[in-house]
Amino acid sequence: MKRTLLYLAVPALCLALFILLSATPGMAHKAKHAPEQLKAFDDVFMEQVRIGDLLFHGDAATEKKMKTKLSRTGMACAMCHPFAVDNHPHEFPKFQEQINKFSTLRDMINWCIEKPNEGEKLDPDSDAMKALEAYIYWSNRGSKLDPGRH
Amino acid sequence: MKEQEWKKEEGGTQGRHDEKSGMRNEITRRTFLRSSLIAGAAAGAAVNGLLPFIQTIEVAFGADSFSFAWISDSHLYPKTLNTRFVEKTERAINEVKAMKPAPDFLIYGGDLAQLGDPVELDLGAELLKSITVKKYYIPGEHDWYLDMGDKWMKLFGKPNWTFDHKGVRIIGLDTISRGPDYWSAKKMSQQERMGHMATLDGSVAGPWAGVGRDQLDWMSKTLSDWPKDKPVIVFSHNPLYEYYPPWNFWVRDWREVQAILKPYSKVTNVHGHTHQVLYNEIGSMRSIGMLATSWNWPYPPEGVPVLTTPMVRVDPGDHFDGVGWSKLAMTAADKVNNEYMMWRKDVFAQTQVDSGTGDNTNQILSPRFADRP
Repeated sequence: MKRTLLYLAVPALCLALFILLSATPGMAHKAKHAPEQLKAFDDVFMEQVRIGDLLFHGDAATEKKMKTKLSRTGMACAMCHPFAVDNHPHEFPKFQEQINKFSTLRDMINWCIEKPNEGEKLDPDSDAMKALEAYIYWSNRGSKLDPGRH
Repeated sequence: MKEQEWKKEEGGTQGRHDEKSGMRNEITRRTFLRSSLIAGAAAGAAVNGLLPFIQTIEVAFGADSFSFAWISDSHLYPKTLNTRFVEKTERAINEVKAMKPAPDFLIYGGDLAQLGDPVELDLGAELLKSITVKKYYIPGEHDWYLDMGDKWMKLFGKPNWTFDHKGVRIIGLDTISRGPDYWSAKKMSQQERMGHMATLDGSVAGPWAGVGRDQLDWMSKTLSDWPKDKPVIVFSHNPLYEYYPPWNFWVRDWREVQAILKPYSKVTNVHGHTHQVLYNEIGSMRSIGMLATSWNWPYPPEGVPVLTTPMVRVDPGDHFDGVGWSKLAMTAADKVNNEYMMWRKDVFAQTQVDSGTGDNTNQILSPRFADRP
């Protein structure tokens, strides 16, 4: 009898522990967000925007820190795209004429780095690429999504 | 008349678009007439094998015919860093030298250097030396804010000047040297000061473009003995109206400039800085934006003058695209022709999809973030 109880108790305890452990991270979004928490989320995003902005404007110290070489001509992204104008992140993915294939914004960023700027293209999942993407999207927020538009 | 009043109130800079089509919906008699002139000129250009469109505007009255050339915005780096801007400057220079008959003079309209480095300015002066016609220079902000114009003035003299040529009073204005002091309080190095000035969409240098009270008085005095019905041409680096202040596509005291020029019925302003095809009229002043030899700037998200026929979208993969110089001529028929010497076949957009402003209808932009205090 004691052995039967033990056989039942051990799996029950394991199940309870599993539910507790697996439910904890999932519970986070069900709790009310505190203003400090929202600010923390925003701070994370805006820090990436700031880094992206500096990279986009050719800031040498940021390039060194991020180990990037985005240009070898003296040109920075912002020299052709002040305020990130004519980047059109809201139009990707689309067929990109210069690349001659269906492309993402990251593909286009790398094309600009390699061709007009004669720099070294980025790993599409690198921190520098994500920061550039954050800056370009943030600069164009409010523009209507229009994927595929030439 | 209604259009004139609207332009006077608004500075004549507000582009209006049809939301659905994205096309301009203000077709005025003036723009229709101008379009007709342009179409006529284009046919002539095609016959003569000329590359660009010709924009015909009436500016002269009783003046003799003559031609002149404009080159600007070469933004030269030292040759060791960047040779493509040198190649394009050389191409423009060689084409000016090939003009037959030779132009009466050349205007270099500012931003010869990228970062005001003496090496860059010397390089530019050396390249331009091969043009033997009379040359006149006005400064751009990129030439100036490393040493506050010391090197530039040693090479090219005073930044503002005036002379009369074949019945036209010609004025060169300095629109760049009177920027507010943004560097002293922050103890910036010369290079930091120049770096902020060289960032078109930066906010640190503020509204630096202006003519200044002293130069306004000088301009007023310069024009005081000139008959009101005789032609005046004003050369400046920045446009003399309010186009897009966040990029200093203006002079902050443009209203005072307009007040001085208002009594003169035939005024043309030829300016650089904007690196794009641009045309506007404010009162009796016609304003023509010149191409850069270095690179093209996209049109800003708002403020493109309704009278501008936008240039085509350029190919960012071809660094000779969307750039060039200008050939201008005062004709015997009392008109001045501006011929954009852009290094491509089609200069003006024929359809929205090929227009450099076509995307302005769905593009909401924010000023940059990292340089905010």
